[in-house]
Amino acid sequence: MFADAVRAEAYRLIRNRSTLFWSAAFVPVGALIVSIVVNLVTQANTTKLDALKLDVGVTGAPVDLGQALVATAGQLANPGLLLFLTIGAATLFAGDYRWETWRLVIARNRRPNLILAKLAVMAGLAVGAMLLFLLCGLLAEISKAVIFERGISFSIDGGDLGRLATVSALCLWRILQFVMLGLLAAVVSRSLLAALFVPLAIGAAQGIAAPMLMGLGWMPDGWPTLLSLPGSAFDMIRPVVWLDQPVPAEVTAALPRAVIGLTLWTLAPLAAALVLFSRQDLSKE
Amino acid sequence: MTDHSAGPVIEVTGLSKAYGTVKALDGLDLSIPRGGVYGVLGPNGAGKSTLFRILLGLIRPTSGRVNVMGGEVGDVAAMRRTGSMIETPRYPPFLTARQVLTWLARSHGLSPAEARIDAWLERVGMTAAADRRVRGFSVGMMQRLGVAAALISKPDLVVLDEPTSGMDPPGIQEMRALIRSLADDDGVTVILASHQLAEVQRVCDRVAILDRGRLAREGRVSDLTAGRARLRFELTPIAAALDLLGPTARLEGDAVLVEARREEAPTLIRRLVEADVEITEARWQGADLESVFMTETGGRDVR
Repeated sequence: MFADAVRAEAYRLIRNRSTLFWSAAFVPVGALIVSIVVNLVTQANTTKLDALKLDVGVTGAPVDLGQALVATAGQLANPGLLLFLTIGAATLFAGDYRWETWRLVIARNRRPNLILAKLAVMAGLAVGAMLLFLLCGLLAEISKAVIFERGISFSIDGGDLGRLATVSALCLWRILQFVMLGLLAAVVSRSLLAALFVPLAIGAAQGIAAPMLMGLGWMPDGWPTLLSLPGSAFDMIRPVVWLDQPVPAEVTAALPRAVIGLTLWTLAPLAAALVLFSRQDLSKE
Repeated sequence: MTDHSAGPVIEVTGLSKAYGTVKALDGLDLSIPRGGVYGVLGPNGAGKSTLFRILLGLIRPTSGRVNVMGGEVGDVAAMRRTGSMIETPRYPPFLTARQVLTWLARSHGLSPAEARIDAWLERVGMTAAADRRVRGFSVGMMQRLGVAAALISKPDLVVLDEPTSGMDPPGIQEMRALIRSLADDDGVTVILASHQLAEVQRVCDRVAILDRGRLAREGRVSDLTAGRARLRFELTPIAAALDLLGPTARLEGDAVLVEARREEAPTLIRRLVEADVEITEARWQGADLESVFMTETGGRDVR
């Protein structure tokens, strides 16, 4: 029955083209277009830049698509993608309240299945957006090679593939953790706007709070920081799994704390949403 | 009509639901037999919608027991054999009618072919609008689609709340025929709530009349209306006559109708004459469900 709920949820989302575009396609495609425009403008001004001796990456070395892929993978949970994926998440999580359609499906399945199906489809949407972002990143590199008349190479080894897979999984986790607040907001408020703005507001507040708390003496690798700021926890883990560099001892020591922080911010909203939804009066959508 | 000898499809015992201090259902006992069309009637606030929502697992009762299709409420296997339409249904506006049914079929674990979507669209008269987005649908079209949505999983029990609301007269007639054929040809038990008592009388085999969260009356429509008749008066002044004739008296056009037994007629007429009410005509009219309803609920508004 979980599979039925996933199939139904996916079927409906795929037909919601505006939501699909804004949540999954806008940022990758927009970034690609911006990249091409910037490269074209840069190329048009190459003479001036050469005169200024600025390094804008227009040397004759081939563009390495394999390394570009690994580099782009580390940016998969970038603020732009998080922001716009929240649109899809809000539509998924609060759509049945907004359209008053819970009553059509609620009796056919177990309530936890219905919520977890939304989450599974959200994960699918996030994976789709991430793959599109990687593809657009590759296309941007290829366009760079074409515009600056450079060669193209592709070098990637087992270690790179491992880092690519691990940092992609970490970014997916961060995206799901971020939108989980939207799930809880949707169930509590039954409002699409709340599902959209609550994670954005909390994310923004946490982003603003991070440097202020450091100024107040909170250590970036300390328990209070990593438990209260999931973004900081993600930033602590990401370089370890992404960059091919030795990890400082203090970062290694802080890793379990960061994992616990990110886990708590993922599971606590999910558990609260499941408990509330299981007892919710769904005749008042 | 359909055989009701099989066991009940719904068994409600001591069912109560309170919203704060307001009791929507107050110890309701009700047994709905398998097969046929069953009407649930009652004035505003009688508890019909609350009962339907509990039956479909949308809300939890405060106390009491509910058994639907042999399972407790929330038993997904039992609920999968139940189709429903509660109030005017709404759908994601970007879907077409066909996509709505496909989406719901998938949520039931059915392919569009298994759900016989085209057949149901035709049966509710929605073939021409099958590929139109629902955002432009009228209330009546939403109702038709809602009925199709309730039926795609081939349920044994269908619960319909106001299935003809917002429909034009031909649409009401088609819906009545569809509901009757579901019961008679497909063997589906249909439970419906409606405030159109004449429609209920035409389509239902049995009815329950709820009042203030309790069962006021239950039985076969033919039994409930048997032995009852209405005395139709043309008289003046009307206001005085309505007061004299009691709570079952009501105005219909320029006439006053009152529920009465044959032997009560002389007394009623004498009472009017003694109060200087001028009677220009008095005659018996056939019994209907509306008069039963008015008697049982004290004439409060219908819904």
